[in-house]
Amino acid sequence: MSRKTDLHDRHVTLGGKIVDFAGWLLPVQYESILGEHEHCRTSAVVFDTSHMGQFLLTGPAAAEHLGKICTQDPAAIKVGRCKYGFLLNEEGGVLDDTILMRLADERFLLVVNAGTLEGDLQWIRAHLSGASGVELVNRSSKGWGKVDLQGPRSAEVLAPMVDIDLHRLGYFGVTEAVCHGRRFVLSRTGYTGELGYEIMAPGDDLVCIFDHLMESAILRPAGLGARDSLRLEMCYPLYGHELSPRRTPIEADLGGFIKPQREFVGAEALRGQVAAGTAQKLVAFRSDSRRRANPDNAILHAGQAVGTVTSAAFSPSLKVSVGMGYVDASLAGAGQELVVDTGRVELPVVVCEKPLYPGGTCRASV
Amino acid sequence: MIPSDLAYTKEHEWVRIEGKTATVGVTDHAQHALGDLTFVELPEVGRQLAKGDEACAIESSKAAASINAPVGGKVVEINGDLEDDPGLVNSDCYGKGWFYKIELSDPAEAGSLMNADAYEKLLGEGEN
Repeated sequence: MSRKTDLHDRHVTLGGKIVDFAGWLLPVQYESILGEHEHCRTSAVVFDTSHMGQFLLTGPAAAEHLGKICTQDPAAIKVGRCKYGFLLNEEGGVLDDTILMRLADERFLLVVNAGTLEGDLQWIRAHLSGASGVELVNRSSKGWGKVDLQGPRSAEVLAPMVDIDLHRLGYFGVTEAVCHGRRFVLSRTGYTGELGYEIMAPGDDLVCIFDHLMESAILRPAGLGARDSLRLEMCYPLYGHELSPRRTPIEADLGGFIKPQREFVGAEALRGQVAAGTAQKLVAFRSDSRRRANPDNAILHAGQAVGTVTSAAFSPSLKVSVGMGYVDASLAGAGQELVVDTGRVELPVVVCEKPLYPGGTCRASV
Repeated sequence: MIPSDLAYTKEHEWVRIEGKTATVGVTDHAQHALGDLTFVELPEVGRQLAKGDEACAIESSKAAASINAPVGGKVVEINGDLEDDPGLVNSDCYGKGWFYKIELSDPAEAGSLMNADAYEKLLGEGEN
């Protein structure tokens, strides 16, 4: 039985086409995926991301215990900052990719994916069992939701509504703020590559905030379809596609987010991979055609299978098809020509530098 | 909404018969269901198609689909504008969004197509 977010009625009223995603009923689009993508790149959109998990970890030993189970080093994160990282198994395989936010000295918020939420929760609880000085609250089970306000004009939409000075909230900053008398967590993060914010609040408050946001003349709602093409242009991984328990962050070319000399679950395996190298590596590619590849398509070189596509789509910004996939590490350099067997044709592609779309405004000053 | 001068298939294609030539496209219902078109593969001019053969492959931001020939014949013209601008199918499906023209090998085949009233009825049934 799929679940509805607190914004479900709003999606229906706004004409959203509802699909099942990780057990949640969410809009894949409202009017047009391409239109919503374009509007996010040029103006501002809002996504309902209430399906994602929010775990609050508090207590004097929260940093110490969290540090053993996630790749982020909580003690090194300043209050008011966020860091991207992973929960790993002992082999270094990715159980989830997460954002860890430090709200106060002894107060952390871990934002996780929807499909992995229950597994993460069990895994974290098992690792914290017997630990003192740390308490875990699953805010998602207490009705907390999230919306992502994204686009170069998102600060313009948000500024009149909140009691804080957005100039002071830099990229990957986080704070607690008040909007129309309702307290919420506000982080300057997102999944589109554009300037933007994630707003986390209890369901009723979130609906109220969403309604106030939608009073903006420039803001439009956007669905999962645009969210996927936006993240793909930025080469942000999607759990279940680029990331899985069988792939490590080193193979996924995300080693830059990790300091594996520190001790955490999976660190030893990562150190081994950093020293020895990996057989495959995650690359981004583009074609000269609008014809797209598909996840699981074979990637070929000189007629031999050398990898597999993990994500692929038509890029609305680049006007050609793009994708990501794992290929033999020796063929992972930018400029490498490869072929994707779509099952219908052999589609020539070229390995590109990441991100595929370099024009994102996420780091712009407000 | 549904042009009365066209013929239709239950696969949501439209066909404009002019003498021995038929122009083929997809209906407003189809373009709406597909979402924004991002790629259209058209048949080669001169290719002989039998009724039911795959004539076009299309991709949208939500789906991929094949379009089969509603009538048989030889492809005499294709809408090359769709290669750079597949969105014409969304913005003007009965006009600039046409796919290809075919010289009918058996004009009697057109008799198996629906008229606008029958197609409208089909759409109505789909909604119930």
